[in-house]
Amino acid sequence: MSKIQLINQFPADETFTLDKRIRLLKKRKLEQTQEKIDAEGGLDEDDYGRVVAPDDFSFEITPTHSDGSFYGYKGWTENYTKLLAAHPLYCDPLDAFVGRGFFFLTRRKGSIWNPDHPYSDLKEAFKQYNIICGIGSDGHFTPDLRMGFELGWGGILAKLKKYQAINTAPGNAEFYESEIAVVRAIISFLNRVGDELAQLAEEECNPCLAQNLREMSGVNHAIASGAPKTLRECIQWMCWFSFLSRLYNRGPSGGQLDELLRPFYERDVQAGIIDDQTAKFYIACLLLNDTRYYQLAGPDEAGRDMASHVSYLILEAADWIDIACNLTVRVHDKMNEDFFYRSVEYLFKNKNGWPRFSGDNSLVEGFMRCGYSKELARKRLAAGCHWMSIPGMEYTLNDLVKINTAKVFEVAYYEMMHSEPDLASTELLWKYFERHLGAAVRVTAEGIKFHLTWQERNEPELVCNLLSQGPVEKGLDVTKAAVYFNMCIDGAGIATVADSFAALQQRVEQEKKISFAGLTRQLELDYQDLDGEYIRQMMLHSERYCGGDTLGDAWAVRVNELFTRLVRAECSRYPGLNFIPGWFSWANTLEFGTNVRATPNGRHSGEAINHGANPTSGFRKDGAVTAMANSIAGVQPFYGNTAPVQLEVDPGIANTPEGVSKMVNMIRTILETGNTLLNINIIDKNKILEAHRDPSKYPDLVVRVTGFTAYFAMLSPEFRQLVVDRVLAVNGDVPEGSVA
Amino acid sequence: MAGMITEIQRFSLNDGPGIRTTVFLKGCNMECLWCHNPETISTNREIHYYENNCIGCYKCVTVCPSKAHKRIGGGHRYFPKLCITCGKCADICYASAMVMSGMVMETGAIMREILQDKAYYAGSGGGLTISGGEVFCQLPLAMELVTACGREDVPVAVETNLAFPFDYMQPLIQKLQLVMCDLKLMDGGLHKKYTGADNALIVDNIHRLSACGVPFIVRTPLVPGITDTEQNISSIAEFLQGLSGLQYYELLNFNPLGASKYKSLGKPNPFQDVRPLPEKRVQELAALAGKAGVPVRCE
Repeated sequence: MSKIQLINQFPADETFTLDKRIRLLKKRKLEQTQEKIDAEGGLDEDDYGRVVAPDDFSFEITPTHSDGSFYGYKGWTENYTKLLAAHPLYCDPLDAFVGRGFFFLTRRKGSIWNPDHPYSDLKEAFKQYNIICGIGSDGHFTPDLRMGFELGWGGILAKLKKYQAINTAPGNAEFYESEIAVVRAIISFLNRVGDELAQLAEEECNPCLAQNLREMSGVNHAIASGAPKTLRECIQWMCWFSFLSRLYNRGPSGGQLDELLRPFYERDVQAGIIDDQTAKFYIACLLLNDTRYYQLAGPDEAGRDMASHVSYLILEAADWIDIACNLTVRVHDKMNEDFFYRSVEYLFKNKNGWPRFSGDNSLVEGFMRCGYSKELARKRLAAGCHWMSIPGMEYTLNDLVKINTAKVFEVAYYEMMHSEPDLASTELLWKYFERHLGAAVRVTAEGIKFHLTWQERNEPELVCNLLSQGPVEKGLDVTKAAVYFNMCIDGAGIATVADSFAALQQRVEQEKKISFAGLTRQLELDYQDLDGEYIRQMMLHSERYCGGDTLGDAWAVRVNELFTRLVRAECSRYPGLNFIPGWFSWANTLEFGTNVRATPNGRHSGEAINHGANPTSGFRKDGAVTAMANSIAGVQPFYGNTAPVQLEVDPGIANTPEGVSKMVNMIRTILETGNTLLNINIIDKNKILEAHRDPSKYPDLVVRVTGFTAYFAMLSPEFRQLVVDRVLAVNGDVPEGSVA
Repeated sequence: MAGMITEIQRFSLNDGPGIRTTVFLKGCNMECLWCHNPETISTNREIHYYENNCIGCYKCVTVCPSKAHKRIGGGHRYFPKLCITCGKCADICYASAMVMSGMVMETGAIMREILQDKAYYAGSGGGLTISGGEVFCQLPLAMELVTACGREDVPVAVETNLAFPFDYMQPLIQKLQLVMCDLKLMDGGLHKKYTGADNALIVDNIHRLSACGVPFIVRTPLVPGITDTEQNISSIAEFLQGLSGLQYYELLNFNPLGASKYKSLGKPNPFQDVRPLPEKRVQELAALAGKAGVPVRCE
């Protein structure tokens, strides 16, 4: 049984330094990860800081609909407040903070969409083009934690009551009643936590740990309704907000961590109540608590670098705890070079995928093309796997809406071969592709509009509304009341599509090695017809995307330009909605592949499509990072969202100061040449191969899977293979002598 | 100007300062027994056979004019002695079982590839490295590349054995960012035995290189039992004492990665089972070299 109140684990006379506590907390984290693997099997997503629920805890939802699920303000309020009242306290006396969750309520309720608002007219097109439509999806925008720091839960309650008195229209009543009930439940929960911690302090035999429990009790009583005043109270407040929002629906992202913490740190230092070692301990415990996405450094609204002493403390804390965490350093023209260098040093030292790096120039200039000011664009922070968000100001559906363009290609290809087989050509195919991609984008935008119309009745954002500008003031859900609606539409499969067009152009049209009809027969039979493997190899080794000025590169640029134009065109159809294109497949790379038959780029039926904006494995014999980054820079939609570069790098290349400097220059150049976001895995090839054979040997091996980091052992075998393939590809481990 | 090259490797981090592109030229005037790039020794094109990659399509059997490929007993067999290196099999072998080493490329095409990473050179202090084979075996091509790079502000370094008359090399050397040269053995007799060339010219050229003001690095590959003796390393280090322009003396551990290439070329590999030196031994040799007062680095 998983223990969640770890009292009396040590003898009464044992003493603890902060360093010892960190080591023990990390060890416990690895044990908890193994428990999750044992209890839940592989999971191709973020760690979220969750722990396995104790055996004696159970929770049954209260359905509010005949389909057995619950929806709308009433259903969510009733179930969430019930869950909060029942949720036991996770407490580790070694930690500086309490609060871990077991699951997300969204995943316990059954159906996630209220059947009273059907969209069967859209479903056929979603299926045809393999679209992840986002209808009924939640979170994936960034609340403004500073609102919470300023008001505390008591202040938020007062604010709700104030606006309830102003907005008395019947349409607002349900919003205020629900939000007030939720905040009251939170305050009550936190007071209970404070009481329980005081009781646990009495039970704890070790005086050092008992003192920590008493301190935690005081902190929790203080922030139950009051605004946090110290760094410790601030971070405990953040931990609870993570817990509360995750418990509701997996929740949103973090924010500009250094700037969030700096006022509290500086106040504590001035008051003489904290030293740097203790501050780092608190920050390390925050990173241990949850794998939220945070940004570090970058420009403020006026363009001044925000790297501060606290930014360094965060890096040092992350180095100390050295677990999966999602820190992004924003690289810009006035960067603190020392901080940049240090961040790269840590990346190579710990090899845990943190930090990653975002490119300010491309992001800001791109977002400004949507009509926003530079000041606002600079506030749009790295906040998720591949996405940016302005804290408290926008609703986005980031990373929740995806079009499988490889599926669109398949539909276009077979329609052409069915309708005009004798005229088949890449230019004719392009016309079919253009038409079908247009249809896919149109129906996707329609789906987003549908979601925005009904999501309040389906799943209001009862937690995140509280830290957003608009909802409380207007008495409406964030899906109705956000300041900006910057709606994300991502494409997936750009390399699969571009390489397919390139292979057709090169092998069928230029070299005349095979006809369209002959190839179609092979595709239908998954390259199992006569000479199938030979033909597959021939198509596979055509000029590929990321090869460097290849046919594949040219087609990728064309595909991106089309996709971008089509997505942006939807803005005029839906005034008030700003649709932003990007290229990202998240962990859907495998699933998307299962829905696409064999493709002309030599890909077998059901094989994964390419990951995000990355090329397919074996794109070049030398696996040159620079070639890859140049090509990905060429397919940036450039409207403020990203097409990330995912790099797998051998640890040996930065084991000297000179090597680190080379990596600093590489990262800077990748981002200066038009790229938006850079995820880097530092992975020893032999280690990951061994971990793939026996994951239990490396419980602490962390990889940046797509945008998120995860314990390698937690991933499914299929996803582990995907990561291994990427590592092998950049080690030049395409088949011996292979000419890519 | 066209030249024979084996490979262009971008994002090269170990062939000079910063981020570089390395162009490997084909053809060398020495024949070091331990060479880990055996395909770069001959100036002629060569065929590699990677048996494991063969998918059994037998297309090579149908295109080969010299019957070097045969279908025997339900399997593919390759007879290299019959091969006339026409490359027809490699052209149609998409599975990369038959791979042609050596391609003729024009300066313009090489430059197009080099310039794709220009942004990376500028930021990192990198540029082009011309390697081999031996760069001075294709001096006219190298000269054109250096001139073209000069127009684009791309610095150029070379990796060379310096086994040519200095006056022949000097016009190119004077335009370089850096020269990386090998001095494998200080003993002239052993040098001749293992590389096929006397080292007197090389030793003299290192002196002249030092005098001409171009920064340079001297490197010794640590071949177990041959170049890794304390006497060899310390005598090379002593020779390098006080040479102006020397950036550092570098010890390169033995590279066993050429084994599959020897096999694919059907060439005997005298160092088949030789492994790199233990890290500790490399550090000891570096410390020994350091006693001569020259800066020392090791891989």
